Amino acid sequence: MNTSMGKKAGIVLASAFGLALFSAGPLVLTASAEEVPQGFKKGELAPEPPADMIEAGKRVYFTKCVWCHGVDGAGDGPGADRLWPRPRNFNQGTFKIRHTASGELPLFDAKKPTPGQNDLFETVTHGLPGSAMPSWEGILTEEQRLQVLAFVTTQLVKDRKFTDKQSESQTILQLADLKPKEATEESKKRGSELIVEKKCVECHGMEGRGDGNAFNLKDDWGFSIQPANWHKCWNFRGSRQDPYNVKNIFRTFSTGVNGTPMPSFADSTSVDDRWDIANFVNSLCERDPEGNPLPIDPLTDKPKINFVVPSNPVEGEIPTDIENEAWQKTQKRIIAMGGQITHKPRNFVNRIDDIWVRSLYNEKSIVYLLEWDDRTKSVAEGKLPWAPTQVNVDVKEQDPKTGEEGSIAAHQNNYAVYNDAVAIETPVKWQDLPAPIKPRYLFGSNEQYPVDIVKWEADGSLRAFKGTGWDKDFEERDSYEENLKVLKSEWKNGRWYVMIQRPVGNKKDQDYDEDTLFEMGKYIPTVFFAWDGHNGDAGRKMAVSAFYYTFMQPPTPREVYIYPFVIAGGIVLLEAWVLTRRANKRKGKTL
Amino acid sequence: MKALMSVGALVGAIALLLLVGMILDVVPSNTVRLVEGYMPIQMLLEVACFVAGFTGLSYMLSSMGMAVPRFWQGIGFWAFVLLYLKFRVYPPIPFSVRAMYGTVSLVAVFMWVSANEDDWKKFKQPIMNVLDAQSGANKMLRYAYLVLIPVLVGFTSFNAMKPKSEEPIELRTVHPAPPASTKVHGKTYTLQTSQNPYRVNPEGKFDQEYSNKLIVEQGMGRLMAPNANPWDEKNQGYLKYVKEGGEIFFQNCHFCHGDNLNGRGLHAFAFNPIPANFTDPGTIAQLQETFIFWRVAKGGIGLPNEGFPWASVMPPWEQHLTVDEIWKVILFEYWHTGYYPRTWD
Repeated sequence: MNTSMGKKAGIVLASAFGLALFSAGPLVLTASAEEVPQGFKKGELAPEPPADMIEAGKRVYFTKCVWCHGVDGAGDGPGADRLWPRPRNFNQGTFKIRHTASGELPLFDAKKPTPGQNDLFETVTHGLPGSAMPSWEGILTEEQRLQVLAFVTTQLVKDRKFTDKQSESQTILQLADLKPKEATEESKKRGSELIVEKKCVECHGMEGRGDGNAFNLKDDWGFSIQPANWHKCWNFRGSRQDPYNVKNIFRTFSTGVNGTPMPSFADSTSVDDRWDIANFVNSLCERDPEGNPLPIDPLTDKPKINFVVPSNPVEGEIPTDIENEAWQKTQKRIIAMGGQITHKPRNFVNRIDDIWVRSLYNEKSIVYLLEWDDRTKSVAEGKLPWAPTQVNVDVKEQDPKTGEEGSIAAHQNNYAVYNDAVAIETPVKWQDLPAPIKPRYLFGSNEQYPVDIVKWEADGSLRAFKGTGWDKDFEERDSYEENLKVLKSEWKNGRWYVMIQRPVGNKKDQDYDEDTLFEMGKYIPTVFFAWDGHNGDAGRKMAVSAFYYTFMQPPTPREVYIYPFVIAGGIVLLEAWVLTRRANKRKGKTL
Repeated sequence: MKALMSVGALVGAIALLLLVGMILDVVPSNTVRLVEGYMPIQMLLEVACFVAGFTGLSYMLSSMGMAVPRFWQGIGFWAFVLLYLKFRVYPPIPFSVRAMYGTVSLVAVFMWVSANEDDWKKFKQPIMNVLDAQSGANKMLRYAYLVLIPVLVGFTSFNAMKPKSEEPIELRTVHPAPPASTKVHGKTYTLQTSQNPYRVNPEGKFDQEYSNKLIVEQGMGRLMAPNANPWDEKNQGYLKYVKEGGEIFFQNCHFCHGDNLNGRGLHAFAFNPIPANFTDPGTIAQLQETFIFWRVAKGGIGLPNEGFPWASVMPPWEQHLTVDEIWKVILFEYWHTGYYPRTWD
């Protein structure tokens, strides 16, 4: 912050100097223009919003915003202590997503809701994905959004003033005039070299999964902060509900993120280089096998979810190499993960928010390949002080207390480290469950209809559990473990790759009161659990998915290749009949 | 008349361009947002605009001597309906429903083109022309159809027969019948006679009329009534408890039900179905406060057997909250959405 403030002061001085010499002639003007980073231009401060707008905005603020941002806008409302990132503290006037130079106030004009020229308005309109700030478009009218911002910028920003020409300046990124460079292979390659040269990888990690210097970063308020994961562009705060748009990355890279360790690279990087970097970063965001952006669900602003996980048949051994053709040909599904907040210990902040799943099966076994981003590889340092199978345990260290010091944000990265882990849950006797064959609760219906849980942990163990009800402890199934196998488990550059094999079962020699029978062509309800050891995740403090379905694709039956031809032949006959009839009729008429 | 028709034509042209843009993904489908709660009327208005536009367009074209034959008008309109349903309406409607609407509109189009003998003849004419193949172009067309139709049908049936993995369809009972009474923290509450102990006036008396006056105003934004700020420290009675309820809501409930109580909280994207939307007139606005009390206290697991499939991770909040806290949260939910709880009479 100090450096950015210093830089800001420098810019102010420089521009004042430039203005003073403005009258001296065009020669000096070009000299002063050089002080502004490439792609930026000096702008004017917006006028103060009228008093009636501020008053109207207060009404909006105290209906909608106060619950998280607090009465004085210090980001300490009742919701704040259980959120990470914490809600913004407005008092300092530090805002992340801007078109203005590092350290400057964002663009805000209460009278001009123009896209690209009103940063705060766009933040309220589109929300800040990856945080609890929702999009307010469709909830508040455009006018109400401007009103509430008029209130926030004049009454709650206390340390700075949006209209003070003495201390504030606006150096604005001219994003509308800058044409994005085409994302050619060459441009992306240069970008990939530049991110090493500019040391982006130090924080964002070798593969850009935000796993670099993930532990020691703090924001201006001393709260732990994570570098962005470039593979999940829909979680970029500045994605403006348009995550695959390279301009958003260019903007953030050019202006930096105020209040965080992310600096502005505008002074040190030419516009051309910035486009190369933006193109490369943008190319890392998850895409479908054809390289197209994932479809985004406008209801959630996250990738659209398909609840069926297809499992493809394989002849013989299931390959353990991800590069193998069988794995490459299998469709990947994104599994959305939410925090388990229903039973203690509750997980309000889950750091794993999705898992990519693929599956293959042969006669004997089914294999799940699970890939998920986790900035830290965690292997337990000590023994867990409570049984991980237990539910409804009061774990003091996990319980967020009120007040800033007891808040989740203050606790981040100070938890005891447990094992990273992942689990797959399938119901036993799913055939007997009424359609749509889902157990009554996430952790099993009852003793009669339990669930079968297979859990892998980062210490290398693979264990089986039985879940018998919504608030029953899991029971360990020692007898089943020998049937399970870890085919692969590797943590690399912020991502886990885990392959878990389990028997599909056959009707002869297994007990289906205990195990799940995986039947071809049937929808088998499947739930995924995930634990991030550095988040203090253990036992029921975990991330959970909804019910998905494992579907073992049957090979295509032969009839499928025969009947269409028969039908097409039938149509030809029908056509001939119609034509003859028409011809006869005409003949009859003309004759 | 002519001016009116030209306006219609203009509207039609713009609307069509927008729709084509949406189909080709050039224009994002949320350019003109469908606003929750107003969606049905918005759609009706839109379709009315389109129809007016088409009338204008066809009038203009025919007055310029480029009349569109009835045959193409009919087919075009039907295609429009199908495309509109598929690409405009969000959240997407399942195929089975679209097929139903498609059939109904096909019947309507047929009724329109066969309204009288003349129209029907005009409609049939192009088909007959191709069948008779008197001209070279028609002959070409006839051969093309002869080949294309079997190929298309064959291909479609192949696609239909290929084993697929589509999500099984789920039906839900949204509001199951509540029990007569519920026992929470050792005390039994009769749903018919219980009252929210915090819906009180400053004197501490149960007063629904008083509280109804202080809830947020309906209308865009749903803002609090002027001079009814729950954060005012001088508040006594209802508004004071609304604030306390809000504190509990924003520590426990917003993760799923959302900052705006619309079921789009931080974790909501991971769940299926997504959490209840309290701003929807079909949820708490239709229910008694005691019903909500029972649902909050007992959660998804407390649903009766007929409330099937349960598919809910709503916990029994009696595990985490006291009875007083539950009542206050309910008070807040009604305040924030601007709905009155339903009463038993």
